[in-house]
Amino acid sequence: MSTVRLDRVSKLYGTTVAVDDFDLDVADGEFVTLLGPSGCGKTTTLRMIAGLVEPSGGRIFFDDQDVTWLAPRQRNIGFVFQTPALFPHLSVADNIGFGLSVKGEKKPAIAAKVEEMLAMVGLGGYGGRLPAQLSGGQQQRVALARVLATDPRVLLFDEPLSALDRNLRDTLKYSILDLQRRTRKTAIYVTHDQSEAFAISDRIVVMSGGRAEQVGTQSDIYLNPQTSFVAEFIGANNGLRGVITGRRGEADGAAWVIDADGRTLVGADRPGLAVGQAVVAYIRPEDIEILPDGNDGGFANVLEGTVDRVIFEGPVAQVRVDVGGRELRVDVSGNERLELMRREGGVRLGFDEVSVIPSPA
Amino acid sequence: MSTVAAPIAAARPRRFSRRRLGALAGHVYVWAVLVVFVLPFLTLLGYSLTGPGGTYAVQNFQYVLGSFGDNLRQSFLVAGMTLVINLLVALPGAYAIVRYPFPGKRALFSLLSLPLYVPGAVIGISLVLVYNFTYHLTTSIFGLVFAMAVGTFPLMLSPIVVALKDLPLSFEEAAACLGASRWQTFWRVVFPLIGPGVSAGLMLTFIIVFNEYLVTLFVHPPDVTTAPLRVFNLVRTAGLAPTTAALAVTMQLISFGAILVFFKVFGTRYLKGTYLI
Repeated sequence: MSTVRLDRVSKLYGTTVAVDDFDLDVADGEFVTLLGPSGCGKTTTLRMIAGLVEPSGGRIFFDDQDVTWLAPRQRNIGFVFQTPALFPHLSVADNIGFGLSVKGEKKPAIAAKVEEMLAMVGLGGYGGRLPAQLSGGQQQRVALARVLATDPRVLLFDEPLSALDRNLRDTLKYSILDLQRRTRKTAIYVTHDQSEAFAISDRIVVMSGGRAEQVGTQSDIYLNPQTSFVAEFIGANNGLRGVITGRRGEADGAAWVIDADGRTLVGADRPGLAVGQAVVAYIRPEDIEILPDGNDGGFANVLEGTVDRVIFEGPVAQVRVDVGGRELRVDVSGNERLELMRREGGVRLGFDEVSVIPSPA
Repeated sequence: MSTVAAPIAAARPRRFSRRRLGALAGHVYVWAVLVVFVLPFLTLLGYSLTGPGGTYAVQNFQYVLGSFGDNLRQSFLVAGMTLVINLLVALPGAYAIVRYPFPGKRALFSLLSLPLYVPGAVIGISLVLVYNFTYHLTTSIFGLVFAMAVGTFPLMLSPIVVALKDLPLSFEEAAACLGASRWQTFWRVVFPLIGPGVSAGLMLTFIIVFNEYLVTLFVHPPDVTTAPLRVFNLVRTAGLAPTTAALAVTMQLISFGAILVFFKVFGTRYLKGTYLI
C-alpha cells in the first residue's frame, strides 16, 4: 500500500535518451498502465521504479520515502516479468515461499502463507509440482502468488501476458485486475496492447520517445487525443493533413475551419490553435456515416468519394473510400453492413466536427 | 486376395540390395571403430589378470590395496584440493566475466584459457624455475596442487561461463525483487541452475588432474608420488609387469567411475532442458 511518484526521471544509454524527464503520480491502490510501442521507454521506466535500472536523473518516491537509490530488495516490490521466471529447481510451494524464506521467516509461517496464496490464485494442491509441470498460464499465476506472498508495497507488471496465447490473455488479465482489487495494492502495468490496457486500468499513460504523450482514462484517451501520436496509436483513425483557414461561431458553438487539399472541414474547438497553423484532422472510422442520396443528415462535414473495397470483418464491415486521392476508412455495423457488400461507385460520407491536432513537426 | 498379395511380394527388396549393403557396411564400420578404441583397454585388462606361465591371477590386484593405495590416496588428495581451488577461482571469475561489463573482457577470457594451449613440459619447466627462485614450494604438496590448478582452471571456467551465459538474467532479477541479497541469490538460485556447467568443470578437472603425469614429474615433492607417476616409474624400472597393468586398470576404472558419478549426481538432473522455461 503506497503511492508512487516519479519526479523528472530520465534514463540515458550513452547518448540515447530512453526516458526523458518523466513525471508520474500513482495514487494508493490505483492501477496505472504505461502503454506504448516497443522502444517508447515504458519498460525502462518500470525497471527504474523496481530498482533494476538506475535512473540518470530525477527521483522516485514510494509514499514520502525517496527510493531512488535503494536496491530492489530494499524496496519491497512485487515484479512480474514477461516470462514467469519461476525458479525451475524449486517446487511451486518453494517458489512462492522464496521471498519469505530469504527474509528469515519461520517454516510453518511460510507454509501457511503459501497455502493461502495458492488458494488465492486458484492453484490449491499444486504446491508440490515443479514449474515445468505447469502450463504457461498456471506458471504466470504462480509468479503472481510469489510476489503477493511478500506483501509488496507496489505491484509492477512488465507485459506479463505477452508470451501467452490469446484466450489465456483474456482470462488472466481479469485475474490480475481481480487480485489487485482484492489486495488493494498500487499497481503499475506495462503493455503495448491497448485492449489489455483498456480492460484493466484506472488510468493510462500513453508513452512515446521516452515521454508521456497523454495521461487519462480510457475515454479521455480515445475520445480526446491530445497529440497526433495518441490519435494514431490508439484505435483506428483517419488523419487528413491541412491548414486552419478560419474560425466561425462563438463561445460553445465555435469551430475551426480547415482546408485539407482543397476539401473544407469543420473541426471541434480547441485552445492553442491559430489561423494558418498546420494541423491534422482526425475522424474515427465508426464516426463516419454513409449518407443516403439527397440527405445530409445534419452533419457538419460531408465528403464525396468512391468505394474502393469493402472488407467484411464479422461485427463490422470496413469500407475503404477514396476521397480525391486520400483513402478514408469507414466502419459500418448492423444490418447496413450486409447491404454494403455489393456497394460500388460514388458515396457521400457524413461526419461531425473532426478532432484538430497540431501537425507534428 | 492373391491378386493383392502378388504386387507386394514383388516389391520386397532383393537380398543384397544397395541399401542393405550400405547398412551392413555401416555396422561393420561402427564395430571396427569400437574394437580399435576399446581393444587397448581390453588387452591391458587381460594382461593385468595374467599370472606366471599364462595362468589367471587376480592377486595381481593385491598391490592396489597395498603400497599402491598410498599413491591413489595422494592422487585423490591432489585432485580434491585442485577442485576446491579451481571452484573458488572459477565461480566468481565466471560470474564477473558474464554479468559485468569491463574493458578487455574478451582478451582476458582468451588469456585465461592460455594454459590449455601451453605444452605440459613448458608449464613444468617454468614452474620448477618459479618455485626454485621465488616461492620455495618444491618440497610441499601445495606446489603440486598449485601447478595442477594453473594448468586446469580454464577447464572449470569455460563450462561455468557457458552455463551462466545460458541463464536468463530474469531469475536473478526476480530473486532480487523478492528481497534476496546477492549472496542468497547466488547460492539459492544461480548456483543450482548452473549445475550442469559446474559438474562438467568438476569432471573435466578431476579426470585431467587425477591422470596427469608430465607436469607432476617436474614439480612433485620427493615424498609425493601420484598414481600415474608410480605407474610410469614402475614401467621404467621394472618393465611391463602384470601387477603394474593392474594398477593402470584401477586408474582407468576410477576415471570411468568418476564420469558416471558426476553425471548421476549433478548432470542429468538439470540437463533435461527444464531450466530454460
